[in-house]
Amino acid sequence: MRRLVVLLVVILCLPLLVSCAAPTAADGVPTIRLNDLRPLPATPPAAVAPLRVAVAAVISPRGNVDSYTPLLTYLGQKLNRPVEMVQRRTYAEVNDLLADGQVDVAFVCTSAYVAGKQDFGMQLLAAPQVNGDTVYYSNLIVPANSPAGSMADLKGKAFAFTDPISFSGRVYPTSLVRDLDAKPEAFFSRTFFTYSHDNAIRAVADGLTDGAAVDSLVYDFAVERDPGLVAKVKVIHRSPPFGIPPVVVGPDVRPQLRAELHGLLLDLPATPEGPAILAALGFDRFVSIEDAAYDSVRQLTDGDTAAR
Amino acid sequence: MTTPAGSLIPSFADSLTRPSAASLPTRAWGLISAVNLRTKILGMVLALVLILGSGVTLQVRATLSRTLMAQLQEESVSLGRDLAARSTDPLLINDLYNILQLLRETQMNNPDVRYAFILDHNGRVVAHTFSGGFPADLVSANAVAADTHHHTTSIRTEEGVVWDTAVPIFDGKAGTARIGLSEARMRATVAAITTRLLLTTALVSLVGILAAIFLTWLLTRPVRQLVEATEAVRRGDFSPRVRRWADDELGELADAFNTMTADLARADAERQEREQMRAFYLRQIITAQEEERKRIARELHDETGQALASVMVGLRNVEEASSAAEVHTRLADLRGVASATLENVRRLALELRPSVLDDLGLVAALRRYATEYTARFKIPVAVQIIGLDDWRLASEIETALYRIVQEALTNVAKYARATHVSVLLERRDGQINAIIEDNGCGFDAEGVLRSGAAENRLGLYGMRERAELIGGTLAVESQTGCGTTVYVRVPVGE
Repeated sequence: MRRLVVLLVVILCLPLLVSCAAPTAADGVPTIRLNDLRPLPATPPAAVAPLRVAVAAVISPRGNVDSYTPLLTYLGQKLNRPVEMVQRRTYAEVNDLLADGQVDVAFVCTSAYVAGKQDFGMQLLAAPQVNGDTVYYSNLIVPANSPAGSMADLKGKAFAFTDPISFSGRVYPTSLVRDLDAKPEAFFSRTFFTYSHDNAIRAVADGLTDGAAVDSLVYDFAVERDPGLVAKVKVIHRSPPFGIPPVVVGPDVRPQLRAELHGLLLDLPATPEGPAILAALGFDRFVSIEDAAYDSVRQLTDGDTAAR
Repeated sequence: MTTPAGSLIPSFADSLTRPSAASLPTRAWGLISAVNLRTKILGMVLALVLILGSGVTLQVRATLSRTLMAQLQEESVSLGRDLAARSTDPLLINDLYNILQLLRETQMNNPDVRYAFILDHNGRVVAHTFSGGFPADLVSANAVAADTHHHTTSIRTEEGVVWDTAVPIFDGKAGTARIGLSEARMRATVAAITTRLLLTTALVSLVGILAAIFLTWLLTRPVRQLVEATEAVRRGDFSPRVRRWADDELGELADAFNTMTADLARADAERQEREQMRAFYLRQIITAQEEERKRIARELHDETGQALASVMVGLRNVEEASSAAEVHTRLADLRGVASATLENVRRLALELRPSVLDDLGLVAALRRYATEYTARFKIPVAVQIIGLDDWRLASEIETALYRIVQEALTNVAKYARATHVSVLLERRDGQINAIIEDNGCGFDAEGVLRSGAAENRLGLYGMRERAELIGGTLAVESQTGCGTTVYVRVPVGE
């Protein structure tokens, strides 16, 4: 009888044993206490202050990293100090960083230079030369299947601007609308900012917008990289030439550094690494440029500021 | 019970593994057979349900754990990759607020996410979902090479296992996204389902117990009845009949039992009848014996006594005889009386037990009896013997046949008013056939054998009893007015 009881107990306990047979957890991994929170270690001050280079969001942040990394690496080697790449969503933010001295060098948009020069004494360092010239255009683009042939045809349509202070992406197309005696807010059914030129191209290609104006350099570069875009996007208007987006330094950058950087940029084609670096950027070379090259831009920008 | 030295196994396991003289099957059978049917069925049902329930629960639990664990890992990877993709641009443009929003949204929309954080390309935490600090060593708990897709590892925490996935952001150029998915919810789900399955098992067990009780009642009810009926039969009561509850083996058993009790009842009735007959016959034998003694006494008194009295009177007459001639005459008379008396005594002796039966055998005895019968009753008897002339049978058979023929002939003389009797004795095929046939008035043989008057005509029963005693049979054929035939058949062997 006792054995029978034992047997019954065993049978009855069987389901309980099931509960104990839990799946095994990973063993041998150190235990981490998720609720034992400690302050994060403060960033140690760098032994050598890095050269901080801002790149305006002419193209998307990822595209900038791909394009500019070889150049920045090269500069770091030559200057024998770390180079840090800084990106911000808007051109205005980059200008602020330059004004505050948080950034030493910047690749800025044409209108950002015009504004920066006027606001806090941004200085020209060099300008890229593309196709043998230091000019660029604003391309008015629409989807390939769009019937629109000019800005007038885009009335009542959706339109994408790149950045509020982008020259090719907003100032120039806005001037075209103004030439039609209209205000962009009323002229277009809808407008929005893409914050980079390649995103604007993509927005048009994907049919997200009926039109956009983009930097011709970015456009040519994008088409070169992705020939399939030609089938999706077409240029219906090209602006007159404007001064190319320059390389600038902040107002407080030491003249020695400025001279050193100027020399490094201009000497690039003669170095072994130079051609590859320039190819990644889509530039022929860097050249010196005068402020006068941006006068035509300044006129339009002033008109824009007055209109606003 | 001795515990093996050094063994720390508790007594329960010990009782199972304890070496025993009896083999395991024997002991198991001993255990099973020791309990009643109800416990057996109950145990069977319970064991089946519990084993099945446990097996299913184990299986489901294991499968579920495996599946959910794999899902969790996949979810961890997919969320990590999503996070890495979505945080690339904000990270590149240093939009920390956006990154934090992204992390918080990710955690809010996925309850399994315990934490998420983003490291910049220098390995510094730029945004995380912890508030008020950051767990030590968490950053170093997982790492991923810039050129790999992702890396997932399990991290033990005080809250259980967390599956941590590290995904390089923008091929590691921007940093690393880390996300940790807790197993807690998965474990809770598994535990809930296990509980539910166990509850179901318990419920089914309960139903099983009820079903087993019902089944037991269904099964044992006819068995119990059979047992009761068997008890009644053992006490000699053949009346109970068991009900046939179902058309199964137990039903067949009930049928067989009922047939058996019916047969037993019939056999018992026959036995009792025979018993009564035997008792009755015994009384009759005793009566007959007394009758025989009375007859012998009467004969001795009436005939032999009378004769001897006559002899006494004659002797006195001889004494008183006056002349020698008269003596002579009287002595001659006396001799005649003595001779007649002697004849009477011889006949008496012969009737009691014919010594010729012992000395010369059945055939000679029958022939002599027939001769005397004819002489006595004036009824001619034709005796025909076939295949038996020199054949001597066992003495009890010879006696029985002799008495049967004698009784039959006596009946003929007493009742038949026949003018002729024939006796046929024939040996054929290892048996003796005896046929006694008369041409008398006959009687209703069946009626006599059945009626209460049988006692008065017990000769018939006596004849039958004698025949059956030696393994034979006896039949009487008679109809009023058409004579009577008695057939006797006795096996005697070759």
